[in-house]
Amino acid sequence: MAETEAPRPRQRPIVRLGIFLISHSFSFSVVCCTAGVLALLLLPILAKNTYISENALMPGSANPMLSNQDVLEANRFVKDLIALNSKPRGSGIESQRLIAQYMKDLGAEVNYHKFHPQITQFHPLQFFSSPDSGTVERNISCSFHGVNTVGITRAPRGDGKEAIVLVTPYNSQKIKQAEALSLGTAYSVFSLLSRVTWLAKDIIWLVSDSQHGEYAAVSAWLRDYHIPMFTRLHTVNAETCPDINYLYDVRDNSVTGRKIYDGFKRAGTMAAALVIKVVDRSETFDDNLNIYAEASNGQMPNLDLINIVNYLAVHRQGFRVKVEKLWSLLDSKWLKNLGELFESVGQVVSSINPQWKFGIPAADYTEGIATLASSLYNQALGVPTGPHGAFRDYQVDAITLELSPRASVDKIIRQNDFLLRGGRLIEGVILSVNNLLEKFHQSFFLYLLTSPGKFVSVGVYMIAFALLVAPLPMVAASLYADAINLNSSQNNEKTVADEPGTALRSLKWVNAAKKVFVVHLWGSVVSLLPYFICQIPNRSPTVSFIIWFLLSVLSFFIMFLILASPFSHAKESQLHLREWAILKSVTMSATFIGLCLMSVINFSTAELGGLLLVPMCLMAQPMRRDIRVGSLSTLSRLAYNLVFCLIGFPPVTFVLLKGAFEGFNSINVGDFWCWVESLWAWSSATYLYIEGILYLFGAERGSTITRNSRSEEAYLAICQLVLLILCVDSFRKVVHPHMVRTVRMLNHCIVLARSL
Amino acid sequence: MLFKIRTLFDSMAVTPLYLYLFLFLGPSNFSNSPFAHGFPSSSSDTTMHTNNWAVLVCTSRFWFNYRHMANTLSLYRTVKRLGIPDERIILMLADDMACNARNKYPAQVFNNENHKLNLYGDNVEVDYRGYEVTVENFLRVLTGRHETAVPRSKRLLSDEGSHILLYMTGHGGDEFLKFQDSEELQSHDLADAVKQMKEKRRFKELLIMVDTCQAATLFSQLQSPGVLAIGSSMKGENSYSHHLDSDVGVSVVDRFTFYTLAFFERLNMYDNASLSSLFNSYNPSTLMSTAYYRTDLYQRRLEEVPVTNFFGSVMETIHTDAAYRAPSRKTSGRADIKTSPDKMVTDDQIKTTTNSNVLDQSSDQKQADQACPFARLMSSFKNKVQTVEEADSLVNYGLVTMIPLLLLSTLL
Repeated sequence: MAETEAPRPRQRPIVRLGIFLISHSFSFSVVCCTAGVLALLLLPILAKNTYISENALMPGSANPMLSNQDVLEANRFVKDLIALNSKPRGSGIESQRLIAQYMKDLGAEVNYHKFHPQITQFHPLQFFSSPDSGTVERNISCSFHGVNTVGITRAPRGDGKEAIVLVTPYNSQKIKQAEALSLGTAYSVFSLLSRVTWLAKDIIWLVSDSQHGEYAAVSAWLRDYHIPMFTRLHTVNAETCPDINYLYDVRDNSVTGRKIYDGFKRAGTMAAALVIKVVDRSETFDDNLNIYAEASNGQMPNLDLINIVNYLAVHRQGFRVKVEKLWSLLDSKWLKNLGELFESVGQVVSSINPQWKFGIPAADYTEGIATLASSLYNQALGVPTGPHGAFRDYQVDAITLELSPRASVDKIIRQNDFLLRGGRLIEGVILSVNNLLEKFHQSFFLYLLTSPGKFVSVGVYMIAFALLVAPLPMVAASLYADAINLNSSQNNEKTVADEPGTALRSLKWVNAAKKVFVVHLWGSVVSLLPYFICQIPNRSPTVSFIIWFLLSVLSFFIMFLILASPFSHAKESQLHLREWAILKSVTMSATFIGLCLMSVINFSTAELGGLLLVPMCLMAQPMRRDIRVGSLSTLSRLAYNLVFCLIGFPPVTFVLLKGAFEGFNSINVGDFWCWVESLWAWSSATYLYIEGILYLFGAERGSTITRNSRSEEAYLAICQLVLLILCVDSFRKVVHPHMVRTVRMLNHCIVLARSL
Repeated sequence: MLFKIRTLFDSMAVTPLYLYLFLFLGPSNFSNSPFAHGFPSSSSDTTMHTNNWAVLVCTSRFWFNYRHMANTLSLYRTVKRLGIPDERIILMLADDMACNARNKYPAQVFNNENHKLNLYGDNVEVDYRGYEVTVENFLRVLTGRHETAVPRSKRLLSDEGSHILLYMTGHGGDEFLKFQDSEELQSHDLADAVKQMKEKRRFKELLIMVDTCQAATLFSQLQSPGVLAIGSSMKGENSYSHHLDSDVGVSVVDRFTFYTLAFFERLNMYDNASLSSLFNSYNPSTLMSTAYYRTDLYQRRLEEVPVTNFFGSVMETIHTDAAYRAPSRKTSGRADIKTSPDKMVTDDQIKTTTNSNVLDQSSDQKQADQACPFARLMSSFKNKVQTVEEADSLVNYGLVTMIPLLLLSTLL
């Protein structure tokens, strides 16, 4: 057998395909990137209609029971609430007492929940620990607190293991008409639910005191709900704060004679939560319902929850349902043209074969893109769009329903009608969730909405992303292969290659990886700087920003000295070029890995990041060489790189975005600081991301000054570690409630590793 | 073996001495056996219809499957109304909708949105409930392979002459029926169980009625003779619910069952509506599926089989030459056994039941007895006189002589 001539073993098709793609990496990357962007623009056309996936929900199967009687009661409640405004303020909790009294009259269990809004402070280690550690601030002044009122109706024959939460935020200091109406809607539903026999889950009505922010009140209540505090803090406070003391001994003379329970009342695990808001926006056509769903770090509630709300609102109560849009996109010319193009393509396709359904009307397309963009933006930003975001941190599906009446609700008939329909909508949703046997799990968690009734599922939108990032490993591989070949050919020219040389050659990338790692390290160090800046008292945003900026530039030079100085700068030309190629390929692989990991956790961040990073990675070239060559193509490439980096520089991006949406008049450098600060507050992944791009730009600038092209590529590397940190952070966010312990163990490991 | 015993009886019957011996010794021997009331015979074709059983199974859990429980309870009510007693109905309900917290009407189950009829009234005896309703338990009930601790009320104690109605409803698919959302009964399992039943002589005729999607596929493996099957839908078809009760908020009955019930609501236990009239009553357009009947294993013509043969407990009547309703119960029972194999006469007009168990259930019959006991006594006496020359004359003679003795003893 050995004698037969052994033809070169034919490589397997996949290997050949890989080699083919690597050898044509340039055209491949152009095609892929274009296809990726195109696929993103096609998403509204590929969107599917939503459908209710969970059998148990059965929305709209029962007639609503909410009657005019309930509405009249609610009206009385609304009147009483508004009347409080005109009264002189006493101890500051009249509204809570009024609400509690009304709840008690319905036979609900009532308790007050006093909270101190959490001080938003950036703490670097917070990313590695649970959000609850070290947040209890004991020495807050008595005046700075809020009081939530919580009413619980027990399911008469339920097992008490599950609950549905209604949240109505209101400002206890000054109750507006719209807020009072939202309370009234919830009250009408709550009063109905306190009578019905069909409840299987307890109903919690949380009237959250939003004087310190809607989110803070809800998240404080949720924290106390899920993390039992065994020290009786409120009694301590009661001793020091007289008005709190007053809070707990009121209602001794109430009608029922019972005292309001001063502990913390709980029901079971939460099946779903609805945040009800009424805004007085005076819609022209119809009663409107806005659905807000984005929670922190791009997490979404189960699509079924949105589906039932949408179904009931549209088919039962006749609301116009909307989800958030980027309004500015609606007017843009190019989108309209694109929509018309797609529409005509669709017409052509359907004329070929009527079976193929492709293309939607141009107006729908523009709306779809605007909704999709808003959805992407909100998810990528990672800041929840309402108090419902707090629930998602505890794996509770929640959305905010923002009702806006058609005309002004001054007329009493109009108001009654609005209350009735709003109440019936909420009743229907609660009835439906009440039918649920398990947690929401049937439908999608990973989706983007293009309209209230259409969605793009994870399987579709990942294609766009995959196409976008596919060139990275290909180009990295081709660069690496070229560099190796170049190296070996040189070796051949010189002498017969010595054996240890080949071994060393295959380890070339380790050197590059080391550099990338150092730059990453630097990036992360600088991103932690704001923590120290925060310690400076009496700083204005502008000053902070400048300090931050200067510090980062300083640290860049330090890093540069460490990184660049020990190595030779003698051998430029070929050897230099090779090193640069390997460095670039390592950076690209790291970017690729980072983006892919990120896409699993927060798709939108990864997608937007990919849109920025991929072209930058692909086009980056040593600038000095470009300048030296001086041809048109290299110069245009240089210009492209500079422009792209400028756009990618977060403050510039921020200013551009803000200018695009609000006009360039009121722009201040400090705004950026404020924005970043708000991102910390939500421990948003995007924060770190922005940091990453910031340093990316910093490094780019550095590269223009220095003559060493290593650092030119280094900037690309920075974002990698940042992306990784961001992955860790998002991971923590996503799995937190179940994995606090694991993460703490991880913490210990990190601490251990540091001490070593 | 059993056959031998029977011939032995025949031979014994001629001599009054042996008969008397048997009469006083026999019952003590046989009463311990579960098969005491269904006396074995040579083959099922010649076995007479002795009693009726019903196995009613709701296989699905969860609130949104309310209608399956309502289906089963409706059928339960119907067969009870038509005369099958509770102890011969095995009712299996996989969930308890009546006590579900989501039920707007606690402890009540309705199969119609008019809420006129509460199916879950005072007199409902559920034999297998909740998680007891498993494929294993179902097959055990059919085949009679129970653990020793299982009480008689949870067993299908049918015999060779039993007509069994097996009704199942739930969610199914191609050749399977889901139980409890966690396991499946496959058509092979069903066919195997029926085969075992046949071999163990647990039924004479079996009517399997299934209301589920693709119900027809569940019957594809059946082989045993005497089996009749009705499914709500053909392969590839869904079975739909009939209507939604917007007060309770769930669908309350399935279409197939709804129209089955509508058919039975018009009947009482003396009606002679045949199985074919039931089968013809299904209209594919109202059913939104095609009802499927499998009749190739069934010998009798459907036009001649009254529905009460399965859904009620009305037996074929047997004309006996001799009066069996003698004052002594023991005697009448034995006389019945003796004569039955030889003299089977089909006559629907004469409502004379041969089986004493059925006699207890048949209230109408009882009323007749109470009305004119004397006339009945006289007529039977006349019969005896007429037939005194026949082969059984000696036996009858002995019986007749017992009457004055008993009368005398009761008077004293």
